[in-house]
Amino acid sequence: MANGVPPWRLMSAAERRRYWLGYWQMTIPALVSLALLLLMTAPLLVPVPVFPQLGLLAIFVWALFQPGLMPAWLAFLIGVVADLLFAQPIGVNATGFALVVAMVRIFESRYGRHAHGFDWLIAGFVVIGFQILTAGLMVLAARPIPLLAQVWQVLTSILAYPLVVWLCAAVQRRSFGAGSR
Amino acid sequence: MLLAQARRLDLAKTKTIFRQEKDGAMDWIPGPRRPSAMRRDQNFALIGAVLSGAVIATGLLLLVFARVNPDAGQRLRSTAIDLVTPFWSVVRAPFDGAGRALAFGSDYFGAVSRSRRLEIDLAAARAELQRAAADRLALAQLRRLAVVRDPARRVVATARIVSATSGSVVRSAMVAAGHGDGVFVGQPVIGADGLIGRTIEAGNHAARVLLLTDPASRVPIIVQRTGQAALAVGTNRPALEIRDRVGADVPLKTGDRLLTSGDGGIFPPGIPVGTIIAGGVEPPQVRLAATPVGAAYVIIEAPYLPLPAVVASTEPTTPIPTEARIVMKKAKPAVPAGPKPPGSIP
Repeated sequence: MANGVPPWRLMSAAERRRYWLGYWQMTIPALVSLALLLLMTAPLLVPVPVFPQLGLLAIFVWALFQPGLMPAWLAFLIGVVADLLFAQPIGVNATGFALVVAMVRIFESRYGRHAHGFDWLIAGFVVIGFQILTAGLMVLAARPIPLLAQVWQVLTSILAYPLVVWLCAAVQRRSFGAGSR
Repeated sequence: MLLAQARRLDLAKTKTIFRQEKDGAMDWIPGPRRPSAMRRDQNFALIGAVLSGAVIATGLLLLVFARVNPDAGQRLRSTAIDLVTPFWSVVRAPFDGAGRALAFGSDYFGAVSRSRRLEIDLAAARAELQRAAADRLALAQLRRLAVVRDPARRVVATARIVSATSGSVVRSAMVAAGHGDGVFVGQPVIGADGLIGRTIEAGNHAARVLLLTDPASRVPIIVQRTGQAALAVGTNRPALEIRDRVGADVPLKTGDRLLTSGDGGIFPPGIPVGTIIAGGVEPPQVRLAATPVGAAYVIIEAPYLPLPAVVASTEPTTPIPTEARIVMKKAKPAVPAGPKPPGSIP
């Protein structure tokens, strides 16, 4: 982004403003993740948790696509919002999302570029791990939950992964891809 | 990966150094240096890792804090539901309209068969009603004799369930009524067919309802047939479980109806909670009487017997032995903390 930018001292006030406003695209991964979290509060009233973990998948996908725009602290803040939206103790989703980003970092440094199917497999493991971690963290917050009821949500989340990838890829192409500027 | 690259680069440099040395152009070997850009990258990676670790540690600390102080962040939570609920109110409005139109159509076509069925029901209900009127009269007389004072139930608000958390481990729903309508934390939420849950968060225009299926939900109930008191506990599954039943040796039958008992002071007594699915199974499983799926509108009532606002005095009223008094004084100073009078002995 910084390529071809005139030195700061040589910019006029309007140019400086335009330069800073050009950074609004930095917020896109966060906004997409928040929108998917909001979608998760849809009035779908079922007695078991079935709605796919769209927020978690979005964090995972953005950490793969744009690692620089989904740092752990941002995932943490999005997780705090998720905790507020889902009436969970503050810190459950926050810790989980930050851990997912950290895991993706380590994973990327090991395996580098990989195929969609491989990422899907990893996403499945991430979802399963996240549910187990959530149960553990809820115990830490003194609100234990039965783990077995989460199986449906794991299944729907794994099925929803290509959808989230499709959405994030479309947004990514529009915002950061060739010809976006 | 970065490290591997750096090592490869170092190796290449070392080779050139050796060649220079063989040529005799240099007297001393400069230490292998990494390019500064790469070093900066490594530093950034290190900072990122440390930051990630700090963030995760903060999350765990927050959780421990939530364990010690579960009511923390109540303001943030109420703001969050105030922001989310209007969004879903607007989004679901057209769907509600379509649903109403469909319901109207099916009502129209099924009117004749339904009115025949209702006439049969009405005949049975009339006979039941006459008996009930006599019972009511008798009950009123008895109550007057025994001077029973019943706390009145009071409807605070009628609201629509606008959103839910079907993707979370916490089973809750949001209703479009808040402080502005008199809805506060700890009020019972009742649907047309029975109990739905209770409010756990309240904002200005929205409140969150903890549904009966949530693992944190505990409802004091009685079994209508046997009169046993028990707790209906949510398990994150469609059916509730019954725990802590008084007289556990008396088995429950399939189809036993469960009502709220009024214990605990939140839920008024006599509201249907559910029916036993399979008799003789321990712990007994309960199918809910009212599911929030069908409950478009719910009523929120004032707590049946709210906890007294004044905390009961902990001062003992009975005489205490002198020895015990000394122990109590040692444990807690009798003089309240604050500015001491100038002449007091410490």
